[in-house]
Amino acid sequence: MNKSINRRDFLKGAGVLAAASALPVSMVELVFADTTQNFSFAYISDAHLQQIKGTKFVNNWDRGLIRAVAETNLLTPKPDFILFGGDLAQLGKKAELDHGAEILSALRGNKVYHVMGEHDYYLDLGQYWETLFGPQYYSFDHKGVHFVVLNSILTYDDWTYKRWPTAEQRMLEMADLDNPNGSPFMVGDKQREWLKQDLAKISKTTPIVVVSHSPLQKIYKNWNFWTDDAEQVQALLRPFNKVTVLYGHVHQIQYNQIGNISFNSVMSTAWPWPYPSTYAQAEQYLPKLTVPMNRADPFFERDATGWQFINMANGNVDMRYNLFSNTSRTVAFNTKTGEPEDTVFQSPDKRIPPQTQY
Amino acid sequence: MHFEQLKFAVLWIVVTGLTGVLSAPAQADEFTQADLNRWQEQYAKVVKDGRELWTSSKLGSNGVACVQCHPNAANTHPETYPKFQKQLGKVAPMWEMINWCIRNPLEGKALAADDYKMIALQAYITEERRGVKLDPGKH
Amino acid sequence: MKACFSGASTITAISISLAAMATPLGLPPVPIPADNPQSPEKIKLGDKLFHDTRFSSTGQVSCATCHDAKKTFTDSPLPVSRGINKLKGTRNAPTVINAAYFHRLFWDGREPSLEEQSKDPMINPVEMGLPNHEPVLKLVRTDPEYVQAFKTVFGKSGEQLTMEEVKKAIASFERTIVAGNSPFDHYYFGGDKNAMTAAQIRGFKVFMDQGRCVSCHTVEQDQALFTDNRFHNIGIGINQMQKDVPRLAGEFLKAKMQGGDVDKAVLGNPKTSNLGRFAVTDTLDDMGSFKTPTLRNIAMTAPYMHDGSLKTLKEVVVHYNNGGVTRKGDRVNDFLSGGIRPLNLSERQISDLVAFMGH
Repeated sequence: MNKSINRRDFLKGAGVLAAASALPVSMVELVFADTTQNFSFAYISDAHLQQIKGTKFVNNWDRGLIRAVAETNLLTPKPDFILFGGDLAQLGKKAELDHGAEILSALRGNKVYHVMGEHDYYLDLGQYWETLFGPQYYSFDHKGVHFVVLNSILTYDDWTYKRWPTAEQRMLEMADLDNPNGSPFMVGDKQREWLKQDLAKISKTTPIVVVSHSPLQKIYKNWNFWTDDAEQVQALLRPFNKVTVLYGHVHQIQYNQIGNISFNSVMSTAWPWPYPSTYAQAEQYLPKLTVPMNRADPFFERDATGWQFINMANGNVDMRYNLFSNTSRTVAFNTKTGEPEDTVFQSPDKRIPPQTQY
Repeated sequence: MHFEQLKFAVLWIVVTGLTGVLSAPAQADEFTQADLNRWQEQYAKVVKDGRELWTSSKLGSNGVACVQCHPNAANTHPETYPKFQKQLGKVAPMWEMINWCIRNPLEGKALAADDYKMIALQAYITEERRGVKLDPGKH
Repeated sequence: MKACFSGASTITAISISLAAMATPLGLPPVPIPADNPQSPEKIKLGDKLFHDTRFSSTGQVSCATCHDAKKTFTDSPLPVSRGINKLKGTRNAPTVINAAYFHRLFWDGREPSLEEQSKDPMINPVEMGLPNHEPVLKLVRTDPEYVQAFKTVFGKSGEQLTMEEVKKAIASFERTIVAGNSPFDHYYFGGDKNAMTAAQIRGFKVFMDQGRCVSCHTVEQDQALFTDNRFHNIGIGINQMQKDVPRLAGEFLKAKMQGGDVDKAVLGNPKTSNLGRFAVTDTLDDMGSFKTPTLRNIAMTAPYMHDGSLKTLKEVVVHYNNGGVTRKGDRVNDFLSGGIRPLNLSERQISDLVAFMGH
């Protein structure tokens, strides 16, 4: 293979992961202008490991996480780190979190950063999770990029502390996506204040990546594709030149651009969710930019699930969706339009039937 | 409707149309607002039971509920049945696909077509899709 | 011409048509590429090429060696094929029957058509062993029978005659080897409720319901190809070498980027072979996956799976019943395709399923 490899080739073609895995590191780095700002990381999310009884777990969800871990382990050069995007458990149980930690422990030689999901939280309000994975919100710097991890799935204190007779019931009420007894997610005053302080030290030209479980934008309230104080969080991010928000929870491909902020969702390893636009009774705000993912074939249990390999290209994010039993997708930041775009399917005449069906 | 009755109905429409008087003779299927309300309540009860089953971890054997993949029964598209279903290898009505889901993701036992649970599940799914035009066979 | 290899097999019955004939019950029309229309002369020429052992380095191996009509176009009961000098490959010879309906050829789909497939074994070192296609061309350009036949069929001779014409003729012959019109077809599509036994009818129900076989081995409203033309990791081969995958995948890709030949690599090394379609697409999603074979005439083509590792259909059903492992309790590989999971079939259901496939 003698042709020169540019960044676009690196992102498409004969399977970027595989291509990357065979390329000596030096070849990859040659193509970037500023090597200090270019690196990759893997993002696995929404495993929803579900205990049936004792050591028995729902096989289907287990397989998704196991496979994502095995595939991530095949990446060479290795991703600099791995993010787990929340909802490791289905009902916040110790057994489920332990089971998840065990499966993730097979990830070889990489630091794993964790994000809190509502399915991890609402049984014991994150207590056990913290003992396994550390604080619920924090920030770190990596090769010139400032990463902020938020717990965005908090809600009103009345709902959390007063409304439910037991912790189990509170967990169950929040677990069903479409439950009218649920409550809108939010980052909350305390964390926003912390975020303000955290960002105060950061230069406006430093690329910022904010990681949350729920979207820090408003898409569809009834399924909590929504964060109630999204605008207030966005306002704190507005002064920076390059900002990306990465979120889980929605179990589908979404992307958007609001002002200076790019939004990219990540997939679930467990099951896909329908787009809110397919629910006949609802008003919703699916971003116009988003090209829907392919409709799933339920027989192939892994179909429409997957994980992400993310390339930080000069402070912007290029998402490689590695989809099981389906065509992989790449959503990359287009510096010309200033928006994230699908590298193949963005234009309406490039869409294929599974993306336009429901 | 017999032909004789049909003739009568047409004649009646012509007559009332001409005179502008609404004095319909008693009809065999006449019903009252009270009837409508009662039947609506009965339907709503079945829909409610369907929603219970939809969100229940007990419908199958592994604790998985329909709602986990289908919030508000979205992506079930009842208006497209019957249609060819490759998991079943044939053109199938919706209840057979519901059973496929009960047997597979939920690892449960299939329900009879006339089982109350099956009827309630279909009532719930269809209710969530109300207002969408029929599109049988569509994928 | 129509030949029936029926035996007791349910979904069996082969018809070899030399010209256009009615499509057998249970099959769609055979797809014919626009640039390679069928003709009786071309089919006859392809038949001759298919059986010609002179296209191998030892003069002893032809296409028909591994795809023998007497063995339902396989080399049953060999687990993996033997080429020149009895050299062993890594894969079980798939039948030519109904190969005309495949969208991609070879177990890993590395060729897009029968035409492209037909040329590869001639130059594979463990199959027909030629260094390149020159000896083939030399033969078809000089052998008087071939000269005449190629002139009649393609109007070409000498230098104008290339591998294109050779490939087209072989593919044309292969497109005549189709099987439908079986007891199953009579039962399911023909309305003859007596065409299958009670056990076979029960087995068919298992096939469609609890066994979930139909999800990949497709049956439709008016036809049944018994393949979805897709690739799946079902836990054969790769289960035993999971820990080698990271090293092997890396080494393989490196070799491939330096110009290595996939065809030679996958047939030369059993472990590399088990990477499956990954070796072709470099896509992680294809790790350890192989093409869904048709099930028609399956009872006559033992042993089974891409590596011939399962001796009987019962072993195959048990493998699926265990959720993708041959021995219950073994560890399944991490790349297993979604949809493969324990089926909880009873002994009776297993034997019914085997009866349906044609014991």
